[in-house]
Amino acid sequence: MSFLMFLNTDLLVATVRLSTPITLAALGATVCERAGVVNIAMEGIMIIGAFFAAVTAFYTGNPWLGLASGVLAGGIYSLIHAAAAISLHLDHVVSGAVLNILAFGITRYLMVLFFGHPGTSDAIPSFLGDYQFAVPLLSKIPVLGPVFFNQTPIIYISFILVIFLAWFLKHTRTGLHIRAAGEHPLALETIGVSVYKIKYLAVFISGLASGLAGAYLSIENNVSFTEGMTNGKGFIALAAMISGGWSAAGSFLSALFFGFADALQIRFQVFRIFHVPEELFIIFPYAATIIAVAGFVRRSRPPKADGVDFIIEKENE
Amino acid sequence: MTGNKTGTKVRSEREHMKKALDLISVLLLAAGAVYYLGGSFSGLAALSSGAALYLFNIYYFQGKEKTLSAVKKYLSRLIVPLIGIAAAVVSGAVIMLLTGYDPIESYTALFYGGFVKNWYVAVLNATPLIFTGLSIAFAFKAGLFNIGAEGQYYIGAMAGAWLGFKLELPPLIAIILVYAAGSFLASLWNFIPALLKVKTGAHEVITTMMFAHIARYLSPIFIRAFGGDPATSTHPYVTWELPESSWLLSFKSFIPDANYRLHTGILIAVAAAFFVSYVLENTKTGFEIKAVGFNKEAARVQGISVGKNIFIAMMFAGALAGMAGITQVLGLDHKLFENLQAGYGWNGISVALLASNNPVGVIFTSLLWGALDAGGQYMARTTHTPNSIVEIIKGIMLFLIVAKYIYIYAARLIKKKKGGGSV
Repeated sequence: MSFLMFLNTDLLVATVRLSTPITLAALGATVCERAGVVNIAMEGIMIIGAFFAAVTAFYTGNPWLGLASGVLAGGIYSLIHAAAAISLHLDHVVSGAVLNILAFGITRYLMVLFFGHPGTSDAIPSFLGDYQFAVPLLSKIPVLGPVFFNQTPIIYISFILVIFLAWFLKHTRTGLHIRAAGEHPLALETIGVSVYKIKYLAVFISGLASGLAGAYLSIENNVSFTEGMTNGKGFIALAAMISGGWSAAGSFLSALFFGFADALQIRFQVFRIFHVPEELFIIFPYAATIIAVAGFVRRSRPPKADGVDFIIEKENE
Repeated sequence: MTGNKTGTKVRSEREHMKKALDLISVLLLAAGAVYYLGGSFSGLAALSSGAALYLFNIYYFQGKEKTLSAVKKYLSRLIVPLIGIAAAVVSGAVIMLLTGYDPIESYTALFYGGFVKNWYVAVLNATPLIFTGLSIAFAFKAGLFNIGAEGQYYIGAMAGAWLGFKLELPPLIAIILVYAAGSFLASLWNFIPALLKVKTGAHEVITTMMFAHIARYLSPIFIRAFGGDPATSTHPYVTWELPESSWLLSFKSFIPDANYRLHTGILIAVAAAFFVSYVLENTKTGFEIKAVGFNKEAARVQGISVGKNIFIAMMFAGALAGMAGITQVLGLDHKLFENLQAGYGWNGISVALLASNNPVGVIFTSLLWGALDAGGQYMARTTHTPNSIVEIIKGIMLFLIVAKYIYIYAARLIKKKKGGGSV
């Protein structure tokens, strides 16, 4: 009986909350990789987004401005990855790793500059978690209502983004171009579309989404920024994208699974069902990630030209 | 006939002399390196005279042309890193100016602290970095990204501490056994990622990263099992001290004025770098691994087993990163701290990339990174400039050195200008 006492709606609500940053970053990674650019800088972009969201929210007192600046900072930071991987023909994985390292350096330096000390920032005066609202009617549905329709703003944005990006990639001209850039870039260039521009756009979108994921961590799920608060979520998001088969809806479902694993480990820790060291619960989501990547990877395939450098030698006019 | 004979005799005498001089210069370089890494600046004199003798040798026996081409060969490798370092230093100065710190004062403290005053701290910092850097560079040669080296570091550190507690053997034997068994256990930490990579294609960036997170949460459990008491000691937990038989030799035992913390792990690290370089350049396995890293399909066509070599590379990379942890425990700490996010994995990526995955180059980039960290701490103590500026300078340096295409662009621009001028 005691084992079942935490299998309730609260667990599912927590699942959605914990999966949101993973969902957002995984959506970004999906768009990016569909355009043929591998992006392992999610972790770094998230931490940049989280930092600028917190700083702006702290100094203006307005979490909505924090949200906007977190998203924008993520987008701008991702452009470095775009420039390195697309224009400077740097290996995508190398560029991503370098940007992760740089992001932690930047946030550490700016922490001291803005708050006078490293570690955790001062608490922001008002956070987005205050803006929880129930969607009329829908929130009255048993179980699903409170889980999906009585949440905070960025969580709703993430739902909308899942639907929007699924539609965008499949049914719009730009979405088609993005997918073509990842499958057969030369064909795209032949019909007169700049592959470089499309790739830049896709990386920028992934930066915006990861910035939003970071903002969620610092100003919606929390009231302050902490160094290293992403804690591997950027990489789990990559795993969600892969086990989700490089699709928006698939990424969302896998992210929910990882969120569930995380919610479960917290409950295990709190209720102490099994008498083992608490760290064994903490590693549960990471182990689940390995299993998911191992099990699903065969059923889906990455875009054909994913991570492949694209060089056009233009004749000098 | 006779003339010919004396000719060969003279030639062989010259050969002998050349060999002898070569040997002397290598010995000078080695002795200089040991002393310099032991914190003694007299080693620098031996190092530079060894290098001078090496060049003189080439000049005397092979002529001016060869000497110049040898000098050119080394300089051409250094030119991009040097430009990158200079540009990063300038960008750092601009950032300091913009944020209200004095760049000249800060840089003086940074370089004095890192390369002179606290050089031994730089060497201590560099020791684990050489191992993790080698681990990552080796995996890169096979086209793999061992981003989770930090995890293998923790496993190595735990294995080293565990074996150090359990083995009650004479000093040298204990140390050799700890290295052998500990690095084997650390390589096993890469077993599942390697297996998944070969069998299902699961990307090692994700699997090794997840295993790194798992390893770092296992370390507190280990520490509690070996003396760490959360009730009495606040964070960080720490194990009991290892028996002295498993400690690495300290430099102080043969260089009296060396810092007492400085241990000979750095020499093991340097030896490991030359060993990895040898494996890659002179063995069949090294050749096959590079072939797989260069082009999988071509390697397969040539009859090289891609899966086998990926597997070997991952396991060897795990062992190397594990040695970083072992060395840290046996040499520096003599116990295991709960050291979450120590950053040896990430910094290992940096030093490997900076050295373009050249194993011997990793020694120098690790020392540079170590010196920047040591200098940063000194700078933060003696000036008002925060330590974390060093992280930014390191990041910019890395970016400017890795993104080699920038220089191709720059060269093209210069060419264009020159061409435009002549027309």
